[in-house]
Amino acid sequence: MTELNQAKDFLSQMILIREFETIAEGLTLRGKVPGGMHNSSGQEAVAVGVMAALKDEDAIASTHRSHHHSIARGMSTQSMMAELFTKSTGCSRGRGGSMHLVDLSRNYFGGNGIVGAGVSIAMGLALGIHILKKNAIAVGFMGDGAINTGRTWESINMAVIWNLPLLIVIDNNQYAVETFMDRVTGGRDFVARAKSFGMSAEIVDGQNVEEVYEATARARERILAGQGPQLINAVTYRYFGHNVGEVGKYRTQEEISDWKSNKDPIDNWISHLLSKNLITEDEISAIRESAKLEIVKAVEFAEASPFPNTDTVADDVDSGSLLRQL
Amino acid sequence: MEEIFVPALGVSAENVYLQKWLKAPGDSVQAGEAIAIIETDKAELEITSNTSGIMGKQLFSEDTDVAVGITICVLLHEGETEN
Repeated sequence: MTELNQAKDFLSQMILIREFETIAEGLTLRGKVPGGMHNSSGQEAVAVGVMAALKDEDAIASTHRSHHHSIARGMSTQSMMAELFTKSTGCSRGRGGSMHLVDLSRNYFGGNGIVGAGVSIAMGLALGIHILKKNAIAVGFMGDGAINTGRTWESINMAVIWNLPLLIVIDNNQYAVETFMDRVTGGRDFVARAKSFGMSAEIVDGQNVEEVYEATARARERILAGQGPQLINAVTYRYFGHNVGEVGKYRTQEEISDWKSNKDPIDNWISHLLSKNLITEDEISAIRESAKLEIVKAVEFAEASPFPNTDTVADDVDSGSLLRQL
Repeated sequence: MEEIFVPALGVSAENVYLQKWLKAPGDSVQAGEAIAIIETDKAELEITSNTSGIMGKQLFSEDTDVAVGITICVLLHEGETEN
């Protein structure tokens, strides 16, 4: 891929994620998405920047907030939307919903509902890569809320002592549900905490897709060179509540407006591309139209799909059927 | 025009109880302002508008059950009238 194509691809993917989330949020409020969802609007650059630096053979585990990671890894928005609707055509055949978007054909082990579990799953994936001597890395996403969870550091410690090919990305939107991270994090410095475990770590602007991409590419190189686990603290912001419909009184309107108006990852990337004459207004409009059309089709597909047949309720409850797909 | 509806807030409730309107038809409403109070089986919640405008007709009266996802009123933006 040329650099110019990649620059435009960054934009297309971020716009597609924003469109998916905007439409899915509205459908969730209208009761179309059983169990609700976690909107990733505002955090697009973290997902797109990280995924662009990874290869097909790299394995990824996500978090409860995973729509942006899933789209950036190249998942079909139709199978994702159908899964949100818990339809049989969804990526988890309608059994998982929003938190269990997965695509094993893309080495994407998807989201889960347990805080910090993406780190543990990725540690296991890294161990597998190490044992099989593959030239690849495992990536585990976590939110800032997982920074004070025991399993996060148990997993990181094991990865460090075994020198596993593990990259941890903190998709750091600064709020663990309603709790501002500084109020509950001893030392307040995620990078320093990671370094104290004997791993390399750096902080990046999670609203700058290029910065996230470059940091991920660097970390991947260091891991493949045998330098052990790496951590990236990507500071970002979520525009909506922790979950759809949450009544949010814990952040000021000024703070939310400031991030939306001044630090938006899509707006900033558009400004960058326009200032370098890398894109035209017409091309931007075409990208937005294409994203709208794709999500309209995804919703139509989800609406038209059937719910799982109740006769199949006992399918997929053992590991056999999962292993047969690998 | 913004359609204001009862949001789906969990997996359990199909209906919520419309306790009280906080705005009357013709009142001006600011974005983010509460327009009604509802009760689910778990909590009492405010329904807010996403945009600013003038309250239109209320489609349900106080002290009634309303299904989740159903529009309860519309908010008229500048220059708009109700059909």
